[in-house]
Amino acid sequence: MNSSPVDASASDASSMPQKRFSNLRSVRWRIDLGVLPSSPPASIDDIRRVTADTRRRYANLRRRLLIDHHSPKYGKASPDLTVDNPLSQNPDSTWGRFFSYAELGKMIDQDLSRLYPEHSGYFHTPICQALLRRILLLWCLQHPEYGYRQGMHELLAPLVYVLHFDLDHLTQVQKLYEDFFSDEFDKISFPEGDFLSSHRIRRVKNWESGIEIENNLHKITNDHSRDELDPDTREMLLLSDSYGAEGELGVILSERFMEHDAYFMFENLMFGDQGVVSMASFFSPVAGSNSNLPPVIEASSALYYLLSIVDSSLHSHLVELEVEPQYFALRWLRVLFGREFCLDDLLVIWDELFYSSNSRYLDNDVEFNFEVLCSPRGAFIAALAVSMLLYVRSLLLATETATTCLQRLLSFPQNPDMKKLIEQAKSLQVLALESNILSSSCQTYSNKNQLTICRGYSLPSASALPKTSLNVIADRYWEEQWRVLHKDEELRKQSNGHLSSSGIMKKILTKRLSFSRTNSEPFEGNNAHALSSVRRRLFDDSSEVIEAAKDHVKSECNESPVISNNLNVGKGFPEELADQRTSNCMVEETFLSGHNALVVSTPTSPHDIGNDHENESEKSSITSNSFLGDNDEETISMEESCSQNKQDEESTNMEEPCCQNLDKQLAQDAEATSSGDVDSIPEQIAAPKDQKPFAGKFQWLWRFGRGSKEENQESKRSQNAGHIQKDGFDISQCDGTYASCGINKRIEVGDKKVMDTIRNLGQSMLEHIQVIETVFQQDKSKFDPLDNLSNNILGGKGQGTAIAALKELRKISSLLREM
Amino acid sequence: MVLVLAIGDLHIPHRAPDLPAKFKSMLVPGKIQHILCTGNLCIKEVHDYLKSLSPDLHITRGEYDEDVRYPENKTLSIGQFKLGLCHGHQIVPWGDLDSLAMLQRQLDIDILVTGHTHQFKAYKHEGGVIINPGSATGAYSSITYDVNPSFVLMDIDGLRVVVYVYELIDGEVKVDKIDFKKTATTQSAH
Repeated sequence: MNSSPVDASASDASSMPQKRFSNLRSVRWRIDLGVLPSSPPASIDDIRRVTADTRRRYANLRRRLLIDHHSPKYGKASPDLTVDNPLSQNPDSTWGRFFSYAELGKMIDQDLSRLYPEHSGYFHTPICQALLRRILLLWCLQHPEYGYRQGMHELLAPLVYVLHFDLDHLTQVQKLYEDFFSDEFDKISFPEGDFLSSHRIRRVKNWESGIEIENNLHKITNDHSRDELDPDTREMLLLSDSYGAEGELGVILSERFMEHDAYFMFENLMFGDQGVVSMASFFSPVAGSNSNLPPVIEASSALYYLLSIVDSSLHSHLVELEVEPQYFALRWLRVLFGREFCLDDLLVIWDELFYSSNSRYLDNDVEFNFEVLCSPRGAFIAALAVSMLLYVRSLLLATETATTCLQRLLSFPQNPDMKKLIEQAKSLQVLALESNILSSSCQTYSNKNQLTICRGYSLPSASALPKTSLNVIADRYWEEQWRVLHKDEELRKQSNGHLSSSGIMKKILTKRLSFSRTNSEPFEGNNAHALSSVRRRLFDDSSEVIEAAKDHVKSECNESPVISNNLNVGKGFPEELADQRTSNCMVEETFLSGHNALVVSTPTSPHDIGNDHENESEKSSITSNSFLGDNDEETISMEESCSQNKQDEESTNMEEPCCQNLDKQLAQDAEATSSGDVDSIPEQIAAPKDQKPFAGKFQWLWRFGRGSKEENQESKRSQNAGHIQKDGFDISQCDGTYASCGINKRIEVGDKKVMDTIRNLGQSMLEHIQVIETVFQQDKSKFDPLDNLSNNILGGKGQGTAIAALKELRKISSLLREM
Repeated sequence: MVLVLAIGDLHIPHRAPDLPAKFKSMLVPGKIQHILCTGNLCIKEVHDYLKSLSPDLHITRGEYDEDVRYPENKTLSIGQFKLGLCHGHQIVPWGDLDSLAMLQRQLDIDILVTGHTHQFKAYKHEGGVIINPGSATGAYSSITYDVNPSFVLMDIDGLRVVVYVYELIDGEVKVDKIDFKKTATTQSAH
C-alpha cells in the first residue's frame, strides 16, 4: 500500500512538476477537489485556515440537522402540539422529519452493510459505519432533491479511506520522530541521576519496544531541530501541528475531524465544485440542460462517441450487439469505477482523475458535443472508460451476444496493468477534449465532415446506434469503390451512352446515396416518442451530414466510382429498405435523404432559415430555366415546385435544401448533360425517350423506395405529430415536384413505361395525401412541447400552407390518375 | 425515541363500530414500536388490526373480551422504564387512585396503564405514573358520562417519558402532553 503513493509521485515527477503533498493522498485530493486552496502559493497556514472554516461549517450543519431536531423541548417555547405530536401526518413537524430521517438512515444502513466486504476490517467497524452513515445522512438532508441513491456510499468510502490511511501514515511518522511530535515533556528523561543513568533507563525502555540503540542515541542527543528533518516529514509536522494556525481545528491530518473533512470532500465530489462533472447529476434521472438526456446517459454516449473515434470496429461491434453504453457505463460512471477495481488500484485512478481539473475549458458560446467532455476531468472519465474497453477488446470482439458481452464488461479483469490503462486514458483524454468542440474553425474539410457527422449522431434517442452511420461512411464507402466501378461499366454499356455517364450516374448516385444512407442507419428507437427535439437535431444534423458527405464525395473522388458506388449500393438496399424494421428516425431519414440526395454543393447550416434559400432557389430556378432551354412546362413546373416549396416552407432546413436541391440539381444536370435528360430523379426532368431503359430501372428502384416510404408512412402514423407534419411537408414537397415532373412527362413523352411510372406516381401520391390528411385530423392537437420546430409547423401559417399544398396535390393526383 | 401506544376499551362491535376516522388515519404502521392494550377490544379483528400497527402487542383481559386467553396483568420493560398493564375492572373501586397505586406497588412498575373507566386520566404518583388512556372509540360506559374517544402515546427516551394524549373533542383531535422524568435512582418499594 505504501508503494502506490510513491508510484504516483514517481510518475508525476517524471512527467510533470511534482505535485504538492503527493505522498499524502487526503491532502492532495482535498486540494484537487477544491476543499483546500490550490493556488500554488498557498501556505500551510492558509490551508489550515480553510480547513478550520470547513470544519466549523460542518459542525454547524451537523448540530442543526442531527442533534437539534430531536429535542424541540429544549428550543421552542410552546410547540403546537397538534402539529408536533409523534403521530402527526404533517411532514414539517419535527416528528415528521424524525421519521423521514429514520427512513433515510435505514436505506443508508442497508448499503453500508454491504460496503467493501473485503476491507471489512476497516469499513465495518462501528465507528466507521457510524461516520459514513452520518455523513451520508447529512448530505442527503442537505440536498433533499437528490436523496440517497445506492452508490453514493461507494463514492464516499474511498475518501474516508484515504483520510484514514494518511492518519495511519502520520502516526507511523510520529512514532519514528517521537521527539518532534510529542508534547509530553514528562516522558522525556528528566535527568534524575546523571546523564549516564538516564541514558541507561532509556536504553532499557527502548530494548523493550525494540527500537535500535542508534536511534535512541540520536533521539537523546537531538535538539528538536526541525531543520534536520526531511521535507516530507517536516511538512507532516506542520500539517499536524496543534499549535499552528487555527490550533487544533486547523490540524490538517486530524482524526478528530475526519468526518468533517470527508463530508466536504464528498460534497465537492458530488457537485464538482462548480465545475462540469458533478457526480450528483449522474445519480439524478433529471435531464441535463444541454441535452434532453440524463447526464449519465449523455456521458455514456460520450464514451461511445469517443470509442467510435478511436476504435470504430469495436464500437460497431458493440453497437451491432445492441449493447447500449449505459448498461455497463452506469455502474462505471456512478461510482467512478469503484466497482471495477480493487481499492488500491482505484486510489491510483482517482489520483489521476482528481488531478484533472473540473473547470470548463470551453467558452460559453462554443458549441460542444457532450457536456461531460467539457472539462478535463470529464474527458478523463470518458477516456478511462474507453481505455478499459480497449483493454478487454479482444474479449469483447469474441462475444456473440449482448449478454455475454455485458457479462465480460461487468466483470473487469482483476489485476489490470494500471499504468498502461492510465497512460492510455491520458492520451485519450486529450483526444476527447479536442473532439468535443464543434466549431467552424476546423482546419480540413474532412475534419469538419467528421465532426458534423459525429455531431449528427452524438445525441441518440437513448440509443447508440446512430454511430453506425459514421462507420458506414468511413469504412464501407471505399470498400465499395471496386464493386461500384464494375457496376458502372455495366450500366454504361446498357445505356445508350450519349449522355455523359457522369451526369446520369450522378443522379443515380444521389438517389441511391439517399437510400444507402438510410439503410446504414438502422435506428431502433422504440421509445422514440420521448426525444423529438433530439431527433430533430438529428434530422438537421443528418441532413448536414448527408450534404457534407455528398460534398465530400463530390470533391474528393472521381465521379464515376462515386456514382457507381452509390448505384450499386442503392440497388442492393432498397429491397432491404422495404423489409427493414422502421422507426421514427429512420423514416425521417428516408425522407430527408430522399431530398438531400439532391444536395449538390454547400452544406447548409442547421438553422438557416427561409429567405436566403428561397431567393437562392429562385435564382437557381431561373438559371436552371436558362440552362435547360427546354419546355416552358418544365420551368413552370419548377416554379410551381418552388412556389410550393415556399408555401410549405417554414423553418426546416430540410425543405429548403430540398427546394434548393431540386433547383441546383437541375442546374447541375443542365450543366452536365448536353441534352436535357435523365430521370435519375425521374420526377424532375423530362425523360427523353432514349432513357427508357434507365427509366425502367429507375422506376423499379424508385417504386421500391416508394414502397418503403409508404411502409414508413404507416409506422409513422403512430408517431409524434410534429415529425409527421414535417414529413408531411416533405412528402408534399416531394410529391409536388414529382407531380410537376409527372406533368412534364405527360406532355413530353408518350412512352408507355413513363406512363406507367406516372400512374404509379399518382397512385402513391394519393395514398400519401390520404395519410397526411388523416394525420392532420388525428394529431392536430398533439403537440410535443419540446419540439419548437413542430410548433412552428403546426402554427396557423404552417397549417394553412400545408392544407393548400395538400389541395394542390389532390389536383395533381387526380390529373394523373385520369391518364 | 421509543413510541409506545396505550389504547383500550374499544368495545367493537358491541358498543362501537370502529375507531374514529381521524384516529385511524393517524395510526399508521411503522411509527409505533409497542402497543399496550388495556382490554375490551372485543373481537379478533380488532386484535389483528392492532397487530398490524406494531408487531409488539400486549393485551390484558377485559370483561367483555371474547378471547379468554389474555392475561389479567402484564409487565414489561422498555428502555429504563418498567411498565405495567391491567384492564382495571378487577380493581375496586373502579378508577380509584389509591387502589391503582396499590397495584403499581404490587407489580413494582414505574408506569401503570389501566382502563375500564373510559375516561382519560394521568397521575404522577409516588415516583410513578398511572395512565388511563380512556376509550379509543368513545364507547358507552355506565360509570362515565360524555365519553370522548381518546388514546395515549408515550415517547420513552432514556429517563424521560413524554405522554401525548390524543382526544377527539367535537370532531377535532386535540393533543396534550405531559412530561415525566424518572429519577435516576428509584428505590424499590420492597
